[in-house]
This record gives sequence, structure tokens and C-alpha cells, in this order.
Amino acid sequence: MIQFFHVYKQYFRSNEALSDINLSIERGEFVFLTGASGAGKSTLLKLVYKEEEPTKGQILIDSVNSTLIPPGKLYKLRRQIGIVFQDFKLLMNRTVQENVAIPLLVRGEKRATVDKKVNSTLALVGLSHRKRYLTAHISGGEQQRVAIARAVIGNPKILIADEPTGNLDTELSIEIIRIFEKINASGITTIIATHDLNLINLFPKRIIKLDKGQLVLDRAPEAV
Amino acid sequence: MKFMYRSVQQALTNILRNKTVNFLCLGIISFTLLVPGIFNFISINLDRYISRLSENVEAIFYIRDGSDSAGIEKLMQRINGSLLVKETGFTSRDQARANFIREFPELEYILAEFNDSPFPASIDVKFRADARSIVPIESFIHDIEKDGMVESAQLNMDWARKIAMIKKFASFAGLFLSAILLIVSVFIIFNVVKINIFYRKEEITILRLVGATDWYIKTPFLLEGFILGSLGGLLAGGLLLLTIKVFPLYAGFVYNVVKQLIDFKQLPLRLFWELVITGSLIGLLSSFISLRRFIRHTPG
Repeated sequence: MIQFFHVYKQYFRSNEALSDINLSIERGEFVFLTGASGAGKSTLLKLVYKEEEPTKGQILIDSVNSTLIPPGKLYKLRRQIGIVFQDFKLLMNRTVQENVAIPLLVRGEKRATVDKKVNSTLALVGLSHRKRYLTAHISGGEQQRVAIARAVIGNPKILIADEPTGNLDTELSIEIIRIFEKINASGITTIIATHDLNLINLFPKRIIKLDKGQLVLDRAPEAV
Repeated sequence: MKFMYRSVQQALTNILRNKTVNFLCLGIISFTLLVPGIFNFISINLDRYISRLSENVEAIFYIRDGSDSAGIEKLMQRINGSLLVKETGFTSRDQARANFIREFPELEYILAEFNDSPFPASIDVKFRADARSIVPIESFIHDIEKDGMVESAQLNMDWARKIAMIKKFASFAGLFLSAILLIVSVFIIFNVVKINIFYRKEEITILRLVGATDWYIKTPFLLEGFILGSLGGLLAGGLLLLTIKVFPLYAGFVYNVVKQLIDFKQLPLRLFWELVITGSLIGLLSSFISLRRFIRHTPG
């Protein structure tokens, strides 16, 4: 599903964000991407959804070399990937349902289909009762769930979450990871970047660890 | 259809969201379109006036003594055959004498000295109103002058040249002024769209990341420029109509002078639509330039 071949990413001459990354994530896998701040987790995720380009190396997404996708066709890749951003990237002056509906609206889905899918996705993340609220008027944990709902509503093949529990307490973090587990159970490849080792230890999943831009650990779930 | 509906809705939302900036922009666009509008209004009226005056462009071909009537008839047929000519008339030597006496009765005694009429026969030519350029008329006159029967030709050249000069000046000044003001309009809409792009930077980033196509993102901005330009044009048309209705009421003496030249009773519909179409095209062009320049710098 996702393959990295000798991938390097350098922002400045002296600063190598990723160095010689080789990895393969299979369809339907659940992976924790971990490492200290500045280890290269966000950069690696950005390379998957092509917000960044690798300096060297090749990335295959569903057997397609993502480095060869022209800017005009990028939307096709992005429609296969649901992203939960660290800062949520929600439109605070819109309602919860308006935020969640965005991926379907950009695809030109019919209003009735959009409404139906918004309702079922909000139910999945437990936010049906907040549907008409302005996003700015709900709590941080609820905003996190809106971001998850927006990421999965388009039925992506891959779900990426960058520090989805960064601002949440342990209880809420566990709840969020359980939502991700539920989504992953439907066959969506899930990659979660987190530096919270306690949380990782609670869920026996594959772990990929980065340190100073290098892949230092790739542990299968059964070994945890 | 649904895409267009959503884009129009989004464009209108953008316009209403930044009310102050957009209404200020609308005011400036309508003003910058109003000025060329006024100028074109004057120009159109001047053109009509000139058109009326053009009917008075006349030439007189003086015929050599002793020319036979068959030859004169043939020459008149040749002159009448030109597309520039509206009508011709023949004045015989005796008629010329009679005309002189009629117009200057106090000078009749001078003619008493001559047994025959001292005036040559002539062919008088009136040119068509739509033969506005003096160049083909001059060329036509030179051509006829070459005929052996024609002794000389006289054209109301000075008058005709003045008409041509007024037309040239009007066209040049109109184009120059319109070009400057239209560039101003492009610059204003360009900046308004730029502000809106920056205002919606975060939304654009999100749209890109969730898989929106470029056109999905760009179309509302293009429509925004188009709507602003069209509204500016409509407003300019309305203001122009108001100006020409109000001007006669307050202009006093000036109105009495210019009313000969300008018809204040109506605004030509063509001019109104020209303002609206110009506004729309300027809006579309400016937002297109703005998008090309700024949207690529939006992350995502």
C-alpha cells in the first residue's frame, strides 16, 4: 500500500529531516509512527500525502509513484487519503456538519448523499448531537473528533493522523485511538504519529520509530 | 450546474464577508468605468453631430468653356457612380450668373459689363454622410480633376479637415483615458481578489488536502471578480444615466451651449451594455491574474 525506497528529505543543506528511509506498510495495517519531537514523523506523513516532495528516493502509494503525479492530478491521490492534522485544520466559523461535509462536496456528491454520510460519520465519532454547532463553540476533544470524521467521510484507503492526541488527556486519548481502531477494522490503512509511549503500550500495534530522521525501529504487533 | 451554483454561492459569500473592502472596490470600479462612460457618451453624441455635419461636405467641379453637353452628362454619370456621392447637380453658366445676382443683387452692375456669363458651368457634388474619411473623398476629387473637361475643383476642405480632426482627437483621447482607467480597475480587482485569497488561505489549504481540484478552488474567485466587475459596470451605467439626467438641471449656461452637440434625453443602450460587459471582462481578467500569481503560494 505504502512503500518508501531510500527516501531522503532535506529542508536546508545542513538539516536532513529524513535519511534513507525504507519501509513498507500493507493494506489494512495499523501503524504507530513514533519518535521524539523533530524526529521526522510529520515530514514522513507529509511525504505520503505529497505536501512535501522527497529530495531523493521513491514513494509508491497503491503501486503509483507519487513523485511522478503532476500537480493537476494531485487531487486523485488526496481523495484516497484521509488526514487528521495536529492543529485539526478546521474552519472555525463553520458548523460541525459543514466541516465534515467538505471532502464530499469537493467531489460533487449529491446533497442527500452528503447529509446521509455526514450523519453516519458523526455517529461513528459520537458527535451527532453537536452537528449544528459552530466548530469554534465545541471542546478540543470534540474538534479532534470532527477532524477524524472529516478524514474518514470520503472512505479513504489510507488514514493518516499527526499527533491526534497531542492536546488531550489520557482518557480522551484512549477514546480517540479506539475510534481509529474501529475505522481500521473496516480495512482502512491507518498511520498514527505520536510521541506518547504510554498510549502506544496500551495498543499492540506495529511501531515504526524515527530518530533524527532515521528509521531506528520497525516492530511488528506480535512482538509488542 | 451544481458546481456552478456552489461557486456562485461561494463567490457571493466572499463578497458579503468582506463587505467594506468589496463595496469600496465596487465604488472605485464604477467610478473608473463612469469616466470612460461619460467620455464615450460625449463621443457618441459628437459622432452623431459630426455625421449630420458630414452631409454638408461638398465639392464643385468647374467645367471648361466649350465642353459639350454629352461629355458633361457622361462626367456626371461617372461622378454619380461613386459610392461616396450622395447627389449631384449641374449649374450652367447662365444659372451661375442668375445665382450670383440672386445672392448679391447689389453687385449686379458688375455683370452688366459682360455680354456672356463670366462664371464657368459647374457640377456640384454632395457626399454621403457615411463617407466619413476625407482621404477617399480627396482621392476621388483628384481622379475627377484629371478629366479634360474639368478646369478645377473646389472642396470645402477646411470644414472637412476640421471634422476629421475632431473625430481623431475624440477617438484618441477616449482610448487613452479609457485605457488608463481600465488599468486602474484591473489593479483594484486584482488586489481585492488577492486579499480574499489570503483571507481564505486556510480554507484553500484544507480544500487542497481533502482532494479538491484546482478549478473547484479557483472558480469562486474568478466569479467574485466577474460579479464585482459586472456590478461595477451596472452601477457605472446607472450613475451615467443619473449624470445625464441631472446635468441639464444644474449646468445652466453650459447646458445651453452643449445641448446642440449632445442629446441629454437618452443614454444609448449600447453604451450601457458596453459598460457592463467591460466591467465583467475586467473583473474576470483581474481575478485570473491574481489567482495565477497568488494561489500557488498557498500551502497544501
